[in-house]
Amino acid sequence: MAEPNTQPNTLLSSEFMARLDQLDLLSRKILAGKLKGERRSKRRGQSVEFADYRNYVVGDDLRFIDWNIYARLDRLFLKLFLEEEDLALYLLVDMSRSCDYGQPHKAHYIKQVAAALGYIGLVNYNRVSISAFADGAVVDSGAMRSRRRVAQMIDFLADLRPSGQANLAEACRRFALAHRGKGVCVVLSDFFDKGGYENGLRYVAGGNYDLFAVQTLSPQEIDPPLQGDLKLKDLEDADTAEVSITAPLLKKYKANLNAYCLALKEYLTRRGGTYLFTSTAVPFDTLVLNYLRERGLLG
Amino acid sequence: MNWLPSFLNPWTAALTAAVAVPALLALYFLKLRRQEMEVSSTLLWKKAIQDLQVNAPFQRLRRNLLLLLQLLLLLLLLAALARPVLHGNHSAGRLNVILMDRSASMNTRDIEGLTRLDEARKLARQLVDAMEAGASAMVIAFDDTPQTLQAYTSDKLRLKRAIDSIEGTDRLTRLADALRVAESQSTFFYPEEKRPSQEPPRIHLFSDGRIGDAADLSLRRAQMLYSPIGSSAAPNLAVAALSARRSYERPTEVQVFARFANYGPAPVEDVGVLLSVDGQGQRVDQKMLLLPERWSAQQRQDWEKQSGRTARSAVEFKLELVAGAVLKVEHMSKGADALAADDAAQIVVPPPRSLSVLLVSSGNYYLQRALESMQLKNPQTLSPSAFEQQFADPARLAGRYDVIIFDRHQPKALPGAGNFVYFGCLPPHLNIKAATGPDGQRLLARDVGVLDYQREHPLVRHLNLQRLYIGQMLRLELPTPANATSATDTQVVVEGTAGPLVVLHREARAVHLVVSFDLLQSNWPLRQSFPAFMHNAMVYLALGADMELRQSFPPGATPVIPRSSLQQAGDPRELRLAGPVQHTVAVPAGGDVALPALSQVGLYQTQPPVPQFEKIAINLLDENESNILPMATPPGQAAQAASGGGASGKIRQELWWWVLACLAVPLCLMEWWIYARRVHL
Repeated sequence: MAEPNTQPNTLLSSEFMARLDQLDLLSRKILAGKLKGERRSKRRGQSVEFADYRNYVVGDDLRFIDWNIYARLDRLFLKLFLEEEDLALYLLVDMSRSCDYGQPHKAHYIKQVAAALGYIGLVNYNRVSISAFADGAVVDSGAMRSRRRVAQMIDFLADLRPSGQANLAEACRRFALAHRGKGVCVVLSDFFDKGGYENGLRYVAGGNYDLFAVQTLSPQEIDPPLQGDLKLKDLEDADTAEVSITAPLLKKYKANLNAYCLALKEYLTRRGGTYLFTSTAVPFDTLVLNYLRERGLLG
Repeated sequence: MNWLPSFLNPWTAALTAAVAVPALLALYFLKLRRQEMEVSSTLLWKKAIQDLQVNAPFQRLRRNLLLLLQLLLLLLLLAALARPVLHGNHSAGRLNVILMDRSASMNTRDIEGLTRLDEARKLARQLVDAMEAGASAMVIAFDDTPQTLQAYTSDKLRLKRAIDSIEGTDRLTRLADALRVAESQSTFFYPEEKRPSQEPPRIHLFSDGRIGDAADLSLRRAQMLYSPIGSSAAPNLAVAALSARRSYERPTEVQVFARFANYGPAPVEDVGVLLSVDGQGQRVDQKMLLLPERWSAQQRQDWEKQSGRTARSAVEFKLELVAGAVLKVEHMSKGADALAADDAAQIVVPPPRSLSVLLVSSGNYYLQRALESMQLKNPQTLSPSAFEQQFADPARLAGRYDVIIFDRHQPKALPGAGNFVYFGCLPPHLNIKAATGPDGQRLLARDVGVLDYQREHPLVRHLNLQRLYIGQMLRLELPTPANATSATDTQVVVEGTAGPLVVLHREARAVHLVVSFDLLQSNWPLRQSFPAFMHNAMVYLALGADMELRQSFPPGATPVIPRSSLQQAGDPRELRLAGPVQHTVAVPAGGDVALPALSQVGLYQTQPPVPQFEKIAINLLDENESNILPMATPPGQAAQAASGGGASGKIRQELWWWVLACLAVPLCLMEWWIYARRVHL
């Protein structure tokens, strides 16, 4: 497989970043943040937007007592305001050997999507955390916030190299343990896991995360340009399958792929997640600017 | 036919199988060298493979389907190598004679639109295929004469070529000569001490069994295996007889008589007859009812009684023919007919003409009465003195009379051409002479009887001369090549106990019929044979042949044109025969000309036209050939030879072409299809 161009400046161009500045992350859930941010929180806190009243109790900040009410009713009420918090964006990136495949290159495409989402998150003062998983291990970028961390994020992504087996289950388990907070979780992977994607996604589906799964496949996987008698070798585990490419076999392969994607979609939908399928043949900016907006991840 | 095949080369096939089957298995189990290709995951591929395998019917079989097909193909090839054969009624021996009947009856088209000869060719080819390596065969085709088409050879290609070259004729069937040729050739090429095996040569007869000389057959050192060919249900209507003659009283009236026969299995009603005069057909409204000839008289009677109808198989009609013509009679029921050669018969009717005869006699009551009875146009009698006086110059005689009869008078001079009959005298200045003694006196013989005569000669045909008695006769000195002064042709027609009695002598352009005794010195005038002889003589010598209409010839006949007719035609150097088959005949300087065998029925014409032979009709008119009911048993004594030899009589038909063509090739195609479709993984 040709070494893809993963230079930082190739992940996101400045023109594209300017267009991304217009976007923000959306979440169907109102999730609790950790820091003050630009997103409305369920919590009551300090903001300009009135939320409710409650009885004064000893110890409350006298600055929030509604003195007009006290004048009329002679009772102390406290004014409550909506809290504005930040949004946590967790990008779970598949960097197994199976992503080191395809033309356009699958891993590079995943990195570009992750960079775009991370960029949008950073410029909107959200906490962005990128976790790359491969071979059962998870490499975490740590939480990043503010536009100043864009270069750091892109460097992190650029340094990722596909290796080993995916092991989605182990990766998701570790991710879930490490990130107990709530947030938007975007999983970028081909989901070709012989252990089954269900074992992994159950850690991130539902509960704390607003889950988006972007299944990224190369055109060579969607419509294999194979012919003849072949010995197919799995990039991850070196497993082999001897096949004679025939029309019925190709037809069966495509039917199985379709069924596999549908099953993944159904699995996610049932658990409140969102499924998005993309081919690396789809231009990256189209995916980000159109598809992700249509699916409600960006707005 | 025994449908269980046996094998000619089982050990060869077994040895090959011992090598080829393990080799195929070893080759099959060698792994296919596949091109290695990296994919992101084999997850879906393996699932697709499993799905296909699970869904495929007979998956266990399918897994090795190609191997099974290859094994099956190999087994078929091995079976072909083992040379499987089917055993039929005959088997090819080491020495085989293939006798192919090509006579008229073999042209019967009763085997699915094919002729019996086609079927015979097919069976003979099968026999050749079934011959073992090293076995020899020869091919003889026969009708009334045998023809060796291929001498003994082991070359199957040449044998088949010879078999395929056989073409049917309309001739009769005689097998005896063919058997003699077969036996003599076998003995010549393979004397008993040199034969590859002790078994006698096998004569394979492919025929419908309608053999004309079946009673004369005998086999001494060979064994005959007979393959009857033909269907007993084939219908055939035939012209069984045809004759026509002009009336003596009214020479322009021709009486035609035809008889038809039904050789099919069922009665045929309302058979119309078409009579053609020079190709102009006119239907004769005579509806005939023909009962099968194979029926017994009792069956015929029963049928007639039951149906209330009477069988009628003959037609007779009269025609006014002032000129010569060719009469053709044919039946109109072509649908009920499998053999075409006997559907029609033709006869040539020359223009009416009466003889002009001069009798030179000093008085012979019997001769005069005989001539009068013939109602000739102009019978004239002259005394010897009157004759000599009137025709002192022979040139005056030329062409004036058709026949001149000299009764006990030797003329002084004769013209160079003409027909002459002598009774008790001899013509002068000819190569045939009266024998003389030392004293110059003519030698006479007394009390002479008939020793022999040529019963088939037109002059004495159908006559009984055995009781002829001659009191005194001239001894004749016949010309020999040594003493002949010119080209002559002398034929003794009747041989007496003391020398020739009747001699036909041709010299120059004249024909002389010499009767070496005086009629009055014999009892001949009182016998029935005398007027008949006179009639025959008139018919034969001159165109008087036209008193009877010209005979037709059987197929294969070689009509002989007498020199006198050729002379009348201007002595051509070459004769062309136009008809169903074209011939060109070179005419020799002297003597009669025998035409080549005319094998096909029909009408032949000589060019230039030769009097009496301008047109020659060849008709089948043979009951044995027209009767197309095939004989189930071998003909004649050959049957005893076949059964007496105790031969199992098997014909072997090799199957390997069928094995390859019918099984192996489709199998190969199926294997290709399966491989191309990649159903198997």
